[in-house]
Amino acid sequence: MTAMQTPPLGLYVHLPWCVRKCPYCDFNSHAAPEQLPVETYLAALRADLDRELERAGGRTIASVFIGGGTPSLFPPEAVGRVLDWLAPHLEAGAEITLEANPGTLEQGRFAAFRSAGVNRLSIGVQSFDPARLEALGRIHGPDEARRAVEAAHAAGFTTFNVDLMFALPGQTPAAALQDVAEAVRLGAPHISHYQLTIEPNTVFYSHPPALPDEDTAWAMQQACDEHLRGQGLRRYEVSAWARPGHACRHNLNYWAFGDYLAIGAGAHGKISDAATGTIRRYRKVKVPALYMDRARNGRAEAEAWPLPVAERPLEFLMNALRLEQGFTPELFADRTGMDYTAVASGVAQAVADGLLEDADGRIRTTTTGHAHLDTLLQRFLPETS
Amino acid sequence: MKHIRNFSIIAHIDHGKSTLADRLIERCGALTGREMSEQVLDSMDLERERGITIKAQSVALQYHSRDGNTYQLSIIDTPGHVDFSYEVSRSLAACDGALLVVDASQGVEAQSVANCYTAVDEGLEILPVLNKIDLPSANPEEVLQQIEEIIGLETDNALMISAKTGQGIDELLEAIVKHVPAPRGKPEDPLKALIMDSWFDNYLGVVCLVRVFNGQINVGEKIQVMSTGREFQVDQLGMFTPKKTAMKSLETGEVGFVVAGIKDIDGAPVGDTLTHKYAPCAERVPGFKRVQPRVFAGMFPISSEDYESFRDALSKLRLNDASLQYEPENSAALGFGFRCGFLGMLHMEIVQERLEREYGLDLITTAPTVVYEVETTDGEILNISNPASLPPMHEIAEIREPIILGNILVPQSYVGAVIALCEEKRGKQRDMQFVGNQISLTYELPLSEVVLDFFDRLKSASRGFASFDYDLARFQAEDLARLDILINGDRVDALALIVHREHAHRRGRELTDRLRELIPRQMFEVAIQAAVGNHIVARSTVKAMRKNVTAKCYGGDVTRKRKLLEKQKAGKKRMKQVGKVEIPQEAFLSVLQVNNNE
Repeated sequence: MTAMQTPPLGLYVHLPWCVRKCPYCDFNSHAAPEQLPVETYLAALRADLDRELERAGGRTIASVFIGGGTPSLFPPEAVGRVLDWLAPHLEAGAEITLEANPGTLEQGRFAAFRSAGVNRLSIGVQSFDPARLEALGRIHGPDEARRAVEAAHAAGFTTFNVDLMFALPGQTPAAALQDVAEAVRLGAPHISHYQLTIEPNTVFYSHPPALPDEDTAWAMQQACDEHLRGQGLRRYEVSAWARPGHACRHNLNYWAFGDYLAIGAGAHGKISDAATGTIRRYRKVKVPALYMDRARNGRAEAEAWPLPVAERPLEFLMNALRLEQGFTPELFADRTGMDYTAVASGVAQAVADGLLEDADGRIRTTTTGHAHLDTLLQRFLPETS
Repeated sequence: MKHIRNFSIIAHIDHGKSTLADRLIERCGALTGREMSEQVLDSMDLERERGITIKAQSVALQYHSRDGNTYQLSIIDTPGHVDFSYEVSRSLAACDGALLVVDASQGVEAQSVANCYTAVDEGLEILPVLNKIDLPSANPEEVLQQIEEIIGLETDNALMISAKTGQGIDELLEAIVKHVPAPRGKPEDPLKALIMDSWFDNYLGVVCLVRVFNGQINVGEKIQVMSTGREFQVDQLGMFTPKKTAMKSLETGEVGFVVAGIKDIDGAPVGDTLTHKYAPCAERVPGFKRVQPRVFAGMFPISSEDYESFRDALSKLRLNDASLQYEPENSAALGFGFRCGFLGMLHMEIVQERLEREYGLDLITTAPTVVYEVETTDGEILNISNPASLPPMHEIAEIREPIILGNILVPQSYVGAVIALCEEKRGKQRDMQFVGNQISLTYELPLSEVVLDFFDRLKSASRGFASFDYDLARFQAEDLARLDILINGDRVDALALIVHREHAHRRGRELTDRLRELIPRQMFEVAIQAAVGNHIVARSTVKAMRKNVTAKCYGGDVTRKRKLLEKQKAGKKRMKQVGKVEIPQEAFLSVLQVNNNE
């Protein structure tokens, strides 16, 4: 074992409500009641945060991500209060992202969110094609989507993300390309470009829509990648594209196997203790009503477990190999507390097989390894776990 | 001796053989209710699940008849599949009568017909018994008529019973006493006892189940096994009542077990004769054969670390299964394993299932093949049970394939379908005769066509009514060649097979198509080729998988995504890596599926 180094720390805040649940969504989101229990939820977050700050032991927070659900359903004033609590614990220039839907109501709040301290938006556009938006069960139309991006600019956000999905029910390769082109044209400095996948416990899982086949989806991706690259965006992670300087620092910290605190219903956290060389993962109570009740009594945590040494290489690689820049052996040692030799032979084999490359002191995926990352990662699963 | 009755129960699967045996045991008071575990006779899990008996067993019961005498009834169990037809004939040879049990609502089915004819051949008195007579769907009259027409048995003495409720069991016991003949034999003659089954016991060594035809056998005597001349001393004798009960001697006509310090199963072959060392009998019980495996297949552990435990498991199975053969085989594609010989496909499946279930092994089995006789240009004769070990074609003068002479007994209405099947399997008709309402067909067939799925096909072509047995007739020169399968240019020895040269293109096409369906897409394109020598006769391609990468993965998802990886990896557990290509187990048996699709 080598000495673990204390990694940067982020904070994830989960706001679990949406106007309605989308058929593809497997996140911890719930249809919002008539009246959002804003005050009760804030009280729960406050109590939850106090425990988390104890856990942080004085470490400062480098980034905040307010996700959901649809956090933009919350009034800016409520978001402002959470950020006020956090202010003394934030690093200077901390990135503060809020997920927002392109609804009319939310767009009106963008400026107020910005005044409250949010400095980055992540807008759930998904597509600019009305038929695709309907198939996805989205409540917004293409015009609202365009106006949301324009509103983000107008509200003074210098950086923000547009979420897009491809390989949608009934989508043609040309339509997929059009979505990407439209987002670029609207000046999005960051685009998350995901292939739609059908996850268990979703409506699409029990009632599967007809999706483009593997070869068509691949062709779509190739065309979109080419366009994004041609327009000056760079892929820095499997599904994340950004103009220089616009990569999401909060997500980069996940992928570099950093630490993150977590507050809110069902939120997951990870925290390392360099002194003891331990890493713990934990999860908050999932059901919003139960969470609000428990959190206010100091019992927001549903479960917590140590990450065994044997499982660290896989979990590190699961994250770090998603990044185009890959990782250095030093980062592996700092974050896992393990000697790089733990993965050296596996890495060497993957290099020999053309899945990884080892150059300039960095280990990163090759084109093949990038496309088949899950196949590659299986090699690093601990035996009989 | 006149109070002994030795009989077996012939029945189709599910027609109630085991339940009836249980009821007879219970009625004779041999076991208390608490001791009656369901279905005493079928003891192996597999036997119970498949509803077939693999090893013969016997139970001796004391029955107090209405005539005031006490009779010793021995129920002798018989296996029920063509793979085990020799074992059946030896069990039946030990009987003087048989109960033909037929489900009163389902009627006569093929398995009982085949065994019934074996019983008739052995000169047994057959007593028809209609079971499940209590069911509303029972149709005894029609079934009795079937028995007369299909099997040609008189049904005047037929009994109507319900093994489940016990109805008619008393009458059945009386009928057994009345109609099954007492054994005939000469107590004063030298010992002549038939080994009807033998098995290995961890504490006792080999236990033989015998029927004494002449003379008697006593504890402490020196005996010999006639085919080998090997000598042993009798340590224990007894019967299963069904509890194991020791006795000092077994008399003429009795069925019981013998323990005589025999160390391995080959020391007491089924069908062989036991006699005294110093006063041997003149001739053996007729019908003894050395059982030869007819089907060979390679078996390989998926994980090479399992090789030693695989060897152990095979040696343990072999203790109880004289017809299982194995020798080490080294495949370039599959690594170290064993070439195993079986009686037939069912036997192979049973062995594979037992190895996987009882010994926890994950195995890949290659396509089964028969033994070919190869004459080299040097005049040497080779027995080839593995296509991979076929010499290069220029060193071969002639390849000869085994031909069997098969007898099929089938009701007239199905004869057309059965003849069509035989023709499809390259059969040549040798004889056709009317036997009552049945037709007896004699065909010469290549064994390679018979071992794969012939029995199953025959059953479906005749709605289960045809019976089938066969003997190896001869080896016949044919224009045969090895069909090789190449995966990404590498010859995969475990996928090779021997085919008729004129069928090579068709078989090659079928195989490459089938493999394309079975081999999952991988990171790279997989080329599949079929070749005879250096001549490619068919090809297909498995296109490369475009990608396999999780689209979204953030902090909270790690645990879930990891489970996904584990699931994907578990899915590959039954795949074998050949070169860089992962080949699923089914691919190695794809030859069989090709046949099924024909």
